[in-house]
Amino acid sequence: MNSRQSRADTGMGVSCIVSTVIHLAVFLLLVWWGKLFPVNMAIQETYYVDVVNLPVADPRAGSPVQKGNEAEIAPPPPAAPAREMSLPEKPKQGAASAKPDAKTAKSPDANADAALAERIAKIARSAEARSEEAVMERLRSKLKSAGSGRSGMPAAGGTEQGSDYSAYIQSRLKDAFRNTISYSSKNPEMIVRLFIDSGGKLTRRVSERSSGDRAFELAVMRAIDMASEKFPPPPDKKLFEGVFVFKPQGITPTRGK
Amino acid sequence: MALLTGTGLIVKIVLLILIGFSVISWAIIMFKLFQVHRANSESVRFMDFFWKSKRFDAIASQVDRFASSPLTVLFNEGYGELKKVVEGGGVSEGSALSTDLGGVENVSRALRRATNSEITRLEKYLTFLATTGSTSPFIGLFGTVWGIMTAFEGIGRTGSASLAVVAPGIAEALIATAIGLVAAIPAVMAYNHFQHKIRVLIKEMDNFSTEFLNIVQRNIAGK
Repeated sequence: MNSRQSRADTGMGVSCIVSTVIHLAVFLLLVWWGKLFPVNMAIQETYYVDVVNLPVADPRAGSPVQKGNEAEIAPPPPAAPAREMSLPEKPKQGAASAKPDAKTAKSPDANADAALAERIAKIARSAEARSEEAVMERLRSKLKSAGSGRSGMPAAGGTEQGSDYSAYIQSRLKDAFRNTISYSSKNPEMIVRLFIDSGGKLTRRVSERSSGDRAFELAVMRAIDMASEKFPPPPDKKLFEGVFVFKPQGITPTRGK
Repeated sequence: MALLTGTGLIVKIVLLILIGFSVISWAIIMFKLFQVHRANSESVRFMDFFWKSKRFDAIASQVDRFASSPLTVLFNEGYGELKKVVEGGGVSEGSALSTDLGGVENVSRALRRATNSEITRLEKYLTFLATTGSTSPFIGLFGTVWGIMTAFEGIGRTGSASLAVVAPGIAEALIATAIGLVAAIPAVMAYNHFQHKIRVLIKEMDNFSTEFLNIVQRNIAGK
């Protein structure tokens, strides 16, 4: 009985060692597998495209708003004569289509005349359709250019670029703030003055007023940190200074200067 | 890898415990597989040999070849007891019948005792598999709950509830449950498997005891 017991225990010891080795092997395999196919946990880069700020999204590119306006004005003039041409044609088309009917009903020997009239009517109709299409096309293109260029920025004439930069910064702050927002009091509010140097780097941020909600302050600071990674340089290499009012409902800019 | 290194102390301890459970339960699984497999195959060979042989002393001289089978243990115990009974019975010739019956009883008791000790030997360590199977998911769950608690504490401190802050802590915490399940599933499966195999072996031992007693009684009665 004793010999049996000891033999059983040595078997157990061997299988303990084997089990440990297998576990180590599996662990190393997993590590190796992770190295071979790393889990991609990086946060994906966000590309900001918003209609309001599109023309001044990159203030270094000059004043695209002005250029857009001039480019837009160009198309309408040719549209006017085309419309004028198409409009008087409408009744003519009705008359042309009515004429052959009357003729064929009146005398059968006037067939050649009728055919001629019909051909003329067809040509007229196709010409009309073509011109109508051209007008529609012009209208459409006009609508399109108007939509991308001016809609959403009614006040921007291209001269107030500082204000557009501020709006851009506000938009970035808003996006970041949506991710970090948290507060523990009822109506937290915080006013922060931001200084951005000519390279687009946040140099200083000053808390001008705060409602005293610590969680909200931290959230605002984190939002500013997050947003400042993506600030573009201000236009004309000027320093930017802006005051922003942070509330749980959103961010409103107050002109600093 | 980052999932393991980033966890807190309690979660690390839980993970270590679970990995220890897993290592030991796999050791037991391998050991038991080997033990039960040899017990089964050698029992089959021993039964062949047993029915081919005519005499107990011939079997007793060869029995070491099947040392891993529980049946050989039964045979050794029964044969040893029988020898003692026969030797003792040879001296007191007067009351042959009563001694014979007493001898069979003795052999039966010896066989029952050997069967019990063999069952104990076969079932040794199996309780650990059952324990692993039933507790390691709970231990893992404890680690997860603890990890999520600390993750939420961190969220409260930074005051940010964005997914980038919440997700890593929860992922780290869930590792504990995953490893608990990894340890528990094979343990439960192996436990059920061995329970079945050992039940079969116990039945075999019972049958062998009955056969052995029958032979003994037949021989003593026929003497």
